Amino acid sequence: MANHQTATFEKLPVWAGGRSPFNVSYGKLMMWIFLLSDAFTFSTLLVQYGAQRFSNVESAVTTKWPDPASIFNHFPFMHGFHLPLLFVSVMTFILIASSVTMVLAVEAGHRNSKKEVQKYMLYTIVGGAAFLGCQAWEWATFIHEGARLNSNMFGITDQGYKHLSEVTFGDHFEWEKGDRTFGPVPFAALFFIVTGFHGFHVFSGVIINVVVYIMTVRGVFERRGHYEMIEKAGLYWHFVDLVWVFVFTFFYLI
Amino acid sequence: MEFYSKPGDYDPINYVPHTESHGTSELWKTFWILLGITIFDFVIYFVLGPSGVRNFIFIFFGIVKAYFIVGAFMHLKYERINLALIILVPTIFIVGLIAGLLHEGNAISQIK
Repeated sequence: MANHQTATFEKLPVWAGGRSPFNVSYGKLMMWIFLLSDAFTFSTLLVQYGAQRFSNVESAVTTKWPDPASIFNHFPFMHGFHLPLLFVSVMTFILIASSVTMVLAVEAGHRNSKKEVQKYMLYTIVGGAAFLGCQAWEWATFIHEGARLNSNMFGITDQGYKHLSEVTFGDHFEWEKGDRTFGPVPFAALFFIVTGFHGFHVFSGVIINVVVYIMTVRGVFERRGHYEMIEKAGLYWHFVDLVWVFVFTFFYLI
Repeated sequence: MEFYSKPGDYDPINYVPHTESHGTSELWKTFWILLGITIFDFVIYFVLGPSGVRNFIFIFFGIVKAYFIVGAFMHLKYERINLALIILVPTIFIVGLIAGLLHEGNAISQIK
């Protein structure tokens, strides 16, 4: 094993061969390349969302593009209250918090502190699971209210917008008859596809974190002499957080 | 293989560069910045009505958040510049594609 020596090859010219030109390990470089390709995958979905939204016009079969915050206005145990953006902000907070515990695990790995790595990995797994639970609740609510992959009951009518303008944050609110009609199908379809695809990434990330956690507990990295696997799992986890930043911006805020 | 025989030689499969901890203060600072921006977005949503300015603020702060996540959490600030460039430069083209297709989508809505 050629780990960690302050080797003479690190002094070679960058592109002369016989060294890593990027000064990273093979695994970490490949993780970066994978994340770049994954960024392109998510971009196609965001591009699709933007193009559909901008080209949508009111017609006999569809309404204007609905205002997302008026639709995602629920909060668990607060049924019937108008609380736009609150729940999704809590979800964002959960993901940011689990991101910071992940990076604390990486930092503990740099100090070869097995106990701390274990602790922070566990916090990260709990955060990821909490996020998935929130997303399941959000989907269940949205489906219960009539959204489907191939139809969307959230075309808000003029009467609906008038009704919405009468309530403020925290007021009691229920949709009334005539507030909603069939709206643009891509709104619901892309919501399910994009948040579903992101949720699948979170799910995969939680699985990866559990595997890495078990490896830590069993002392695999201690024997190996470095905790680089935590860094690689961390890169993936932060990428999932990064994607959520843009999903939050484009699907909920704008 | 001859290539691996001498101790201290470069081994492309197992090579892991030595890493140092930068401490946790920067990480916590980044956490508070990200949390602050999220709360700021939430407040701005209700303070400003729907407008282009508000959308610009949201996208701008989305990019600021991305900078902090990629730079501090994913450690890209401390990597070699050539690694940072092969990751970041292609993503600039995505921004161009989004801008182009929004323009195109808008044109389609005019003739629909």
